[in-house]
Amino acid sequence: MSWTGHLLSAFFALCLSGTIAAGLLSGRRGPMALSLTGFLSSALLLVISGNVLLRGTTLEVWLWELPLAGRLLVRMDVLSSLFMFVTGMVFMPVSIFSAGYLRKYLGRYSLKTFGCLYHLLFASIVLVLIAGDVVFFLLAWEGMSIICYLLVNYEYREEQNIRSGFLMLSMGEAGTLAIALGLIIVAEASGGLDFASLKVGSQALSAHARWAVFILTFLGFGVKAGLVPVSSWLPKAHPAAPGNVSALLSGAILNLGVYGIIRVDWELLGMTDPAHGLVVLLVGSLSALLGILYATIRNDMKRMLAHSSIENMGIVTAGLGAAFVFGSSGLIPQAGIALLASLYHMVNHSVYKSLLFLGAASLDSRLGIRDMDRMGGLARGMPWTSLFFLVGALSISALPPFNGFVSEWLTLQSLLRIALLDSTAVKIVFALCGAGLALTAGLAVTCFVKAFAMSFLGVARSEEAREAREVPASMRWAMALLAVCCLGLGVLPTHVIPVLDRPVAQLVGASTVNALVPPFFTVEKGDPEWDEAFLSEFHDLGAEVGRGLIPGRGLVVLHRGTERNPVVFAMSSSYSLAMLVLLLGSAFLSVWFFTRSRKVVRRPAWDGGVRRLTSEMTYTATGFSNPVRVIFEAVFQPSKVQSARETVAEHFRTAIMTGPAEETHLLDRSVYGPMMRLSQKVAQGLARMHTGSVNAYAAYVLVSLVGLLVVWLLI
Amino acid sequence: MSKWVLKGLRTGIVTTRYPGSMETSPGVSPGRPVSTVLRGQRGLPEIPSCPTGALVQRAGKTTVDHKRCIHCRRCVRASTPFVEWEWGYEWAEWTSTDPKEMEGLGPSFSRSLHIRFVDAGACGACMSEVAQLTKPHYNLHRLGFFFTPSPREADVLLVAGPGTDHMRRALEKVYDSMPTPKKVVAVGTCSLSGGLFGPSFASEAGVTGIVPVSVGVPGCPPPPLAILHGLLVVVGRRPATSLTDATNQMRGDSQ
Amino acid sequence: MLVSEIPRGGIEGTLRAMEGRWPVQVALERSAYLEAAEVVCQARDLPALCEWLCSELHYTFATLVVLEEERGWLLRYVFYGGVERSLLSLLVRIPGWENSVPSIASLVHAADWHEREAEDLFGLVFEGHPKLGDFVLHEEWPEGVNPMLRGFDGSKPYPHRELDPDWRPDRIVQSPGAFVMPIGPVYSDHAESAHFLLETVGEDVIRTIPRFFYKYRGVEKIAQGRRVEDVLLLAERFSGTSAFAHSLAFCQAVERLSGLQVPERARMLRIALCELERFRHHVHAVAEICSSTGLGVATSQASILEEELLRLSCMVSGHRYLFGLNVPGGLTVDLTERKLTLLQNGIREILKRFLDLEDMLRFSSSFLDRLEEVGIVSAHDARAYGLVGPVARASGIERDLRKVLPYSGYERVEFRVPCELEGDSYARLRVLFREAEQSAQIVEDVLSSLPQGPISNTGPTPTAGSALGWVEAPRGAAFHWVCLEEDGVVARYRLTTPSFTNWHGFHLAAENFAFQDFPIIMASFGLSNAESDR
Repeated sequence: MSWTGHLLSAFFALCLSGTIAAGLLSGRRGPMALSLTGFLSSALLLVISGNVLLRGTTLEVWLWELPLAGRLLVRMDVLSSLFMFVTGMVFMPVSIFSAGYLRKYLGRYSLKTFGCLYHLLFASIVLVLIAGDVVFFLLAWEGMSIICYLLVNYEYREEQNIRSGFLMLSMGEAGTLAIALGLIIVAEASGGLDFASLKVGSQALSAHARWAVFILTFLGFGVKAGLVPVSSWLPKAHPAAPGNVSALLSGAILNLGVYGIIRVDWELLGMTDPAHGLVVLLVGSLSALLGILYATIRNDMKRMLAHSSIENMGIVTAGLGAAFVFGSSGLIPQAGIALLASLYHMVNHSVYKSLLFLGAASLDSRLGIRDMDRMGGLARGMPWTSLFFLVGALSISALPPFNGFVSEWLTLQSLLRIALLDSTAVKIVFALCGAGLALTAGLAVTCFVKAFAMSFLGVARSEEAREAREVPASMRWAMALLAVCCLGLGVLPTHVIPVLDRPVAQLVGASTVNALVPPFFTVEKGDPEWDEAFLSEFHDLGAEVGRGLIPGRGLVVLHRGTERNPVVFAMSSSYSLAMLVLLLGSAFLSVWFFTRSRKVVRRPAWDGGVRRLTSEMTYTATGFSNPVRVIFEAVFQPSKVQSARETVAEHFRTAIMTGPAEETHLLDRSVYGPMMRLSQKVAQGLARMHTGSVNAYAAYVLVSLVGLLVVWLLI
Repeated sequence: MSKWVLKGLRTGIVTTRYPGSMETSPGVSPGRPVSTVLRGQRGLPEIPSCPTGALVQRAGKTTVDHKRCIHCRRCVRASTPFVEWEWGYEWAEWTSTDPKEMEGLGPSFSRSLHIRFVDAGACGACMSEVAQLTKPHYNLHRLGFFFTPSPREADVLLVAGPGTDHMRRALEKVYDSMPTPKKVVAVGTCSLSGGLFGPSFASEAGVTGIVPVSVGVPGCPPPPLAILHGLLVVVGRRPATSLTDATNQMRGDSQ
Repeated sequence: MLVSEIPRGGIEGTLRAMEGRWPVQVALERSAYLEAAEVVCQARDLPALCEWLCSELHYTFATLVVLEEERGWLLRYVFYGGVERSLLSLLVRIPGWENSVPSIASLVHAADWHEREAEDLFGLVFEGHPKLGDFVLHEEWPEGVNPMLRGFDGSKPYPHRELDPDWRPDRIVQSPGAFVMPIGPVYSDHAESAHFLLETVGEDVIRTIPRFFYKYRGVEKIAQGRRVEDVLLLAERFSGTSAFAHSLAFCQAVERLSGLQVPERARMLRIALCELERFRHHVHAVAEICSSTGLGVATSQASILEEELLRLSCMVSGHRYLFGLNVPGGLTVDLTERKLTLLQNGIREILKRFLDLEDMLRFSSSFLDRLEEVGIVSAHDARAYGLVGPVARASGIERDLRKVLPYSGYERVEFRVPCELEGDSYARLRVLFREAEQSAQIVEDVLSSLPQGPISNTGPTPTAGSALGWVEAPRGAAFHWVCLEEDGVVARYRLTTPSFTNWHGFHLAAENFAFQDFPIIMASFGLSNAESDR
């Protein structure tokens, strides 16, 4: 076994020891130990996966043979290692965070259970990612689902949490069944059970079978990824789970659904039919739009973030769908770019969503409330949390210089390459989805302006918000780490893209780095990858300022080409970051220097001369998002509010009470509602069979026996 | 929409040329009494009591305290009138005699001034005259003066009204919220001396006790041109006149 | 008694019916154009009587006058309109030790604010009124201090108490996420000082709670103990934009008290100047409506007309706002032929341009969009709240004091009272235009047939007593109650202004409309805080 194999075993050993330690240690030491082992194991995982990612090697290890199931295969290629790296990137800050966060469960729930489950979850996620054959995959998948359910249901004493957990589990199981069924269909047509032989075997499938497999596996993995129409469990699971588990759920576990889609629908089935890609694209865009619409009107912070996760997963899926369509139409470079955009967005989403969820968990642990209508003015008492939350909000709103901007920009750009496609219908779908994603981006800004401003800015609207204090250091450091990653991923994309290119190259078949990052930023002259033909059109006009100071080609590289190529001005992203810091810093310093002798007088905010500006007189989160609610009323269809007018006399109104607007989710109204009614009708029809008379039941037995005999005879 | 453009163009320009040239149209000012020395009268005539105590007779001269005059005209309508009436409108005056105070806001504000108007109990006539400033006949925008809803951006606080008790805090808040340099222009007799309404349990004797007033524009109400004059005085574009007109306006027998 | 049994025989029939049902003492006074009845009743019968008058006999509540007597209170509830050209006053005596009277606010909703004002300023308790306190006197005033009482020295400021740090706004809407948006008292470019708390859940205003009396100058208290000439000045100048109308009402009260006959020329000129003021106010209101909807050119056009009217007024009378013209017994100056011609021609010409503006506005669809079906006041609500003026006439209540209680010669002038039914802002705009047209017509008619003669009658010093003067001010019905002592000094002066009456019903129009409509609805009402707060 190579070094990678050894390190991987070490990783599992670490997880196991973490589990045992969690089981043994007493409650008070538990969070510290968990934090330590979690940190170490995620660091190890980062090393392992980073190594594989950069080297591009694949690890294949055959394990034991199980009866009736064949040999289990461990296979870790660049795609798995990318996902493992992301998982490590999420688990590390969450482990650090847990040191401070888990203290709130001391004495209420068993921390030993949490510790065990935490490490087992980590191990099971990695197991899913390294599974190389169907049995191993399904076993690991099932194990991961169950452990995830147990962790989400951690606060089991709340009635709502039990129901949410149960919903998550049942939908997850339905998804697993669908995946298993799909994989069985493919396995039927292939020789062995490992993914390589399934890939060969899938080419023998008929078009109908391919559609069946596609639909089953796409919906099955879509449950885990949180795609419409099977995402109903996500908005309920997130508020039920503890804060750090929410971060893991959105940052690591949703990605597994995407992993499954890429692994099974892309690699195994291959990209032959553009129609598959269109379905993926449409589902993705719809998820994105619906997700953000519901996120904008929600006041519970965790529920809002859950809907936002649906939105982001929708964007990732839309990028995937576009890549599918391009790939199956033969436009390989565009497919590569779209796939790269989608993977980049997945990485970004893991980072900033974990950051946001950790921020929400900080608020929850300090305030005890999640309703944004009752927060406000927290920036004063919790400055660091608000800073990091702001970074997360800016990232998710796709604003430069943070990471969300890069991936969303790339995704939208790839959707705009409509001119390259042939069929008009496909073009129309692309245009509509592009418009949908653009609307999503706009609504996302609204949603997160509301989330940040209503919680952190303004005046405190409740007692809890007024008395909020900053969270302990471990929680702050965790969020700081993620915030730095957000910034880094945003200002250094030219260094990230070559890394992401490796799985893309494996899947698409060609490297797309050159299309996105001009080679003169990544390689030096003389390197075999130096594309002379590409660069011969450009002439170096010099002015490579700052060469050799920091990694990267230089500050300014001006090129002027022939009449076909206009002037190109490019800047290395590491240099641009340095330049940004320098400019902003010097601007700030010079302003401070020139105004340091001026007397600053501070007065309260201008309030129109009222005697007192109270917290009731500030905008609430409901009020801020009300216009969106009103404009999209057709989607939300809130039920009529209960209003009671108590009157003393005909003209005196002393109270107008309106209850909360009750809305059933669009999916529940249009998909699940009718399905439930139908199944109830069918069940009621079938219930007539339950006559209660023994004679009837004896007749049933006879009829079914005869029927089975007939069928057996026919086959 | 083009019909509105055409209508506007057809109406033409009705804006006054003041301060470029003095406005001579009839009806722009109600006029006010001026201090008068009467010659050729035997004995001093009986003054019907001025309801606000604006007229003082001393040593053969009737002095008008413009801060108190409300143009009720009982003095000119008396059987033997003893004050002259002038029909001008340049009535603004500095309220203090300190030369440093009388500098105004300085040249950078002379063509770019932002004004916050506060109603401290005005009757409606002063407010109507202030509102006329933004209308086509007077149009203070051509002078570079603008009304602003936020005191944070205001340079001049324009106040009308006697300074009611309930508005005291709001007025103080507005003044506090304005950044320096700032000046206060008090419009109307009520804001300079309380007029008919102050001092009482419900209002002060003008707003001079609440905010430091630099320029006062007396009148009840002062016509829009007088208010313009006040604004021009506070930025130093026009000279002020005297509130208690001690300079003699010598007249012979009344015509 | 059945509902349909409205007593016949005019006011006498009403009085007889009243005597039959309740223990009252009636007194009827007849003059050439008016029948004024005074009914002394018991405090406990008051609610039933008021309800009977208002809901069955369709009287309108005018004003509530509280008089502090030596051994108690005398409350006078004035009604009008049930029978043509009649005033009916209910007098209730409350002994000093009782200090409370049953509230009629739930039955006669127009009396709501009158009772609240009396409670704040006099300390009288109106039993059954759901919301007393914190009306005229704001939080700085300590409890139990009532400025209108004789013992209170109104010439000095009163020391205040500290504001309560735990004060919270009165919330009526209790909905998750509802909040209160404060407006004022200092807001907009140049608006009068008033405070509104708009309760909303984000888009629509669900409830507005206005807070007025930021401009309270205590005119009624200042007037006590002053001579008639000085109170005339107060009556004229407490609301500068309707100065002539209010001074006319005051003069009429004094004239009624002292039996002064006003010469015919003065009466006709008074009508002309009243209508000139009404015309100018309506032009101003139209300019404000255009300004609130953002139609710049129309605003400028209407403002040009308004300034020309102001200059016309100054040329004709010496003051832009017609100050200093009315005096008990007539006018202070006569108008020469030249000035009368100037006035006639000026009004004719301005009216023509005003009607041109109306034609253009009627076809500006974006302008009408902001006004139609916005700010609706139903006829039922308008009647219940006793709204007056163009606001009420736009909601179908065709009532104008010039027709119902004619004064100063209006009974001989021909004119229509325009009335609309929708009650929205557009209806109010139409009423303004039609009334302005009528006013110009009245001026034309009156000036073309102006009799010659003296301009005023000076009479003896007015004797002790009390009388009511009224006028249809540009914004609606105004009532001035004047009570004089032996030496011609004012003992009590009660002002009821149309803005006070209409601000009471303003929230009906503003509720359930979006924020952006709020300034437009306010402009369409055309009310004045100076007039309301006094």
